[in-house]
Amino acid sequence: MEQLLAALFQLFEPTHLAFLFAGTLLGLIVGILPGMGGTSGLALVLPFVFTMEPSHALAMMIGVLAPTTTSDTFPAVLMGVPGTAGSQATVMDGFPLSKKGMAARALSAAFSASLLGGIFGAFILSISIYYAIPIIMAFGFGEQFLLVVLALLMVGALTGDNLFKGIASCFLGLIIGSIGTAPITGDPRYTFNTLYLLEGVPLVVVGLGLFAIPEIVGLLDSKGSIAKSLNTKKGWFTGLKDVVKNWFLVLRCSTLGCLVGALPGLGGTVVDWIAYSHLKQTTKDTSQFGKGDIRGVIAPESANNAKEGGALIPTLIFGIPGSGNKVLLLGGFVLIGIEPGLDMVTTNLDLTYLMIWSLAIANILGAGICMGFSSQISKFTLVPYYILAPVMVCLIFFATFNINRDWYDFIGLLSFGIIGITFKNFGWSRPALLIGFFLSSKVELLSYQTQAVYGLSFLSRPVSIILIILCLATIVLLTKQKFDNNYRSDLIKGKLTQIYYIVILLCLPLSMIWFTSSLDYRANLFPISLSVIALSLLVFILIVKIADLKNLPFLNNTLMKFARSNIFEISGNFNNQLFYYLSFIGFLLMNFIFGFPIAAALFINMFILFHNRKAYVSSICISAALMVILWALSSLLTLQFPNGLIGLFVDLPWWLGGQLN
Amino acid sequence: MSLFSFVSIGNADVNFAGKTVTWVVPFKEGGGTSRFARFIQPFLKKYLPGNPDVQIMHIPGGGAIKGSNYFEKNAKADGTFIFGCSTSVIVNVATGNPLVKYNLSEYRPVVLLPQNTHWFTRSDLAEPHDLSKIKERKLVLYALKTPASADLFHIWIYEKLGIKGAKPIPGLSSSGGYQAFLRGEIHLSSHGAANYVKKVKPEIEKGKVVDLMTLGIIGADGSVSRNPLAPNAPTFPEMYEKVNGKKLEGDDLEAYYAIGAAWSQASKAMMLPADASDEIVKAYRDAAIKMTNDPEFKAKAVKALGPFPLIIGEEAGEIIKKAAVFSDTTKKQLNAALKKHKFTYRVQ
Repeated sequence: MEQLLAALFQLFEPTHLAFLFAGTLLGLIVGILPGMGGTSGLALVLPFVFTMEPSHALAMMIGVLAPTTTSDTFPAVLMGVPGTAGSQATVMDGFPLSKKGMAARALSAAFSASLLGGIFGAFILSISIYYAIPIIMAFGFGEQFLLVVLALLMVGALTGDNLFKGIASCFLGLIIGSIGTAPITGDPRYTFNTLYLLEGVPLVVVGLGLFAIPEIVGLLDSKGSIAKSLNTKKGWFTGLKDVVKNWFLVLRCSTLGCLVGALPGLGGTVVDWIAYSHLKQTTKDTSQFGKGDIRGVIAPESANNAKEGGALIPTLIFGIPGSGNKVLLLGGFVLIGIEPGLDMVTTNLDLTYLMIWSLAIANILGAGICMGFSSQISKFTLVPYYILAPVMVCLIFFATFNINRDWYDFIGLLSFGIIGITFKNFGWSRPALLIGFFLSSKVELLSYQTQAVYGLSFLSRPVSIILIILCLATIVLLTKQKFDNNYRSDLIKGKLTQIYYIVILLCLPLSMIWFTSSLDYRANLFPISLSVIALSLLVFILIVKIADLKNLPFLNNTLMKFARSNIFEISGNFNNQLFYYLSFIGFLLMNFIFGFPIAAALFINMFILFHNRKAYVSSICISAALMVILWALSSLLTLQFPNGLIGLFVDLPWWLGGQLN
Repeated sequence: MSLFSFVSIGNADVNFAGKTVTWVVPFKEGGGTSRFARFIQPFLKKYLPGNPDVQIMHIPGGGAIKGSNYFEKNAKADGTFIFGCSTSVIVNVATGNPLVKYNLSEYRPVVLLPQNTHWFTRSDLAEPHDLSKIKERKLVLYALKTPASADLFHIWIYEKLGIKGAKPIPGLSSSGGYQAFLRGEIHLSSHGAANYVKKVKPEIEKGKVVDLMTLGIIGADGSVSRNPLAPNAPTFPEMYEKVNGKKLEGDDLEAYYAIGAAWSQASKAMMLPADASDEIVKAYRDAAIKMTNDPEFKAKAVKALGPFPLIIGEEAGEIIKKAAVFSDTTKKQLNAALKKHKFTYRVQ
């Protein structure tokens, strides 16, 4: 209790509040940009937080994470586009309300529901911390191993449209995560004798590549979808009243959000839909749903903010992330030297409480800012994307370089960028890939550790039995639920590309087997077993796809129908997105030649002017501002930006890529 | 200290006025070596002749090899480049990692910051400071992050103490290992001084955990004294004598000194490049001595750096040589221990 209050006082120190505030603002902006969510936001700040004190870094990271599911309501209500994956259900009734001219009512109801949900989540989290020690003590290596398996299974099954593609994504992530030094023997695996791959690909590179880049090209491709009118003046009070009237719904959905969030692997993308269907099931008059019922906004919004508190429980005490953004949060913990587990509820309890308070206050701040400055903030949805995109690309490159100050990270970023784009377009699961990647070394180590301590006897420990039952129940429930959907194979074009894509994916497990087969069995048992499972899954998917293409009759029995659903994805304008992606490669080449600062200025001008020749004033102003920021950062943090070839021939200042000293 | 006082008379030839000193740290921001560098940084600026700016440049990656190789390649010998070294940088050299391109044993150390390791077990498994019950057990599990790190020394230590049942559990950090130890999954555990005070001491007071031994503080003359944080716990040489009935000497003593130098005495270090002139080295060492007499340093050092005094001067160079160049017999001993536990990794 003492520490609880001490943490609150610590948080109210000006520097802490400043970092929390800065994080919250960034989180709000990231939430508003459609498609960008907490994962991309955290990936952007991660390369910078580790210069900070741990408590400042935590305040900032929580600040980024908490309000993304509050501000994502702006695009959901005003544009009918979910700002993050967590507000998909909000669109259902939020957008119709906005079309009826009741945008302000929808927004204010959403913000206050978000606020209450967020605080409820923080409250539940602080209570759970009290009971965490016995739980941590009961979870030995074996139980943790099963918990991780459960998490992977749920993520794979739930985040993909097709169960098999989701689980295959998980395994591909696990395989990529096994690249680097083998933890048991120290043998290099799949590193091609390079220093870069020895420690594996950096998490931030994977996160930014998989999430930020595909969203940017996706939005550039969609062009339009900008809010037409911003009628957000009247109706604020009505929205507040709606929430007060539905207080019991807020409570129920917050509880639901917390619970679902706390299940490892389940948090994130499904909680808003669960709340929405709970609302539908418990309401007598469902006639207005989908046409602008305010309860359809309140339910998902309170749930998706409450889940943050719940999702932090497994993250803090077991280091098992529930969703993509928790992976990045855990990555941040590593950077600032915090290890999840027992320490979080004993020696580092002050930091845990600091996080809980930050979560609560960031929610209040976030909702407050959203309500107070709604008309200003909603203008963000008016900024053309061709202006935002190049700035964001520069930001991503800058953040990427800050991880290791290594050129190879750019190649990693663009490689995972193309993986992300193809995964998104062809219906594979990016969260599953990321979580598999992150948990890979944990799975490998836990399997060895469990084997060394218990052998197979761990399976008969009581907690293990409960976890195994949970695993099996999940599978059964999922297969039942996913049976009934209306997949229309005949509507999909470009099926051949998606079939060829599997052939490319097959190369990863095959080459992994090839390159690791000569190693000691303790170094290659894990990647080879993963590869074999991934190969069988991929081959199965390939067969189903080909059968679907040829419309073979054996797909029509019930079991195969299930495997067939969503086996192909409507892949948008894949070629357009590829074109934008190529421009990023062009930017990388410019970096090689001119160094980062000059290349960034050139890229911003070229990109904006390519889309709109008249926008030279904004392009010049933006690139000038960027140069000033880069110069200031370089002198503050002693950063040397990537220097290009030009620095070898022309005498440039240090920060532009010249010689040191 | 009196030895140094006469060299600390002002040095007219070396002056860093208007220059910038770059301190290359081959680790991420926030790690131990980074914290060490950041703590020293303001004092260095204050006491180096000409008060140069000191900037810390972090180059993490490749298990500290990337930043270390960068320093070897780019550092100028004029005193504007210094290197932040740690046990893992030394172990990379001592174990003959083929990617290493830095000639650490020739570097000119300025300051060494020692560290010490504590070993302990659960009170139901052994009496304090007594290994006899542990030695009777068939299976004694302990945490080992990876054999390609300083953790490799654990294998040697348990081997020399004749703990036959000792079996490493791979991939456990010291914190994760301690957690598993508290859960009762592993039997022996160890921690550095800071975590020992923070996490282990409370459990000892509760009666759940008992001290076994410490690595011991190695003096300039090779004598080994007890760790002031656990004054009742025997040092490794004492424990060795008790268990084996003979003094620690010969090859075993040589290996102990090498391991002690890498693991304990040179846990963190600030170094100048190999070709830095004697004047520059002296200017730096003088600044370091002045720093240790600074009242602000004295007030903060124990909390920021731990209870062990800094090692400054020629003896630091000897320690680094000992730590970075393992003799063939020491390597043979380590490899024998690795082989016994079926690790494929070998010290080169």
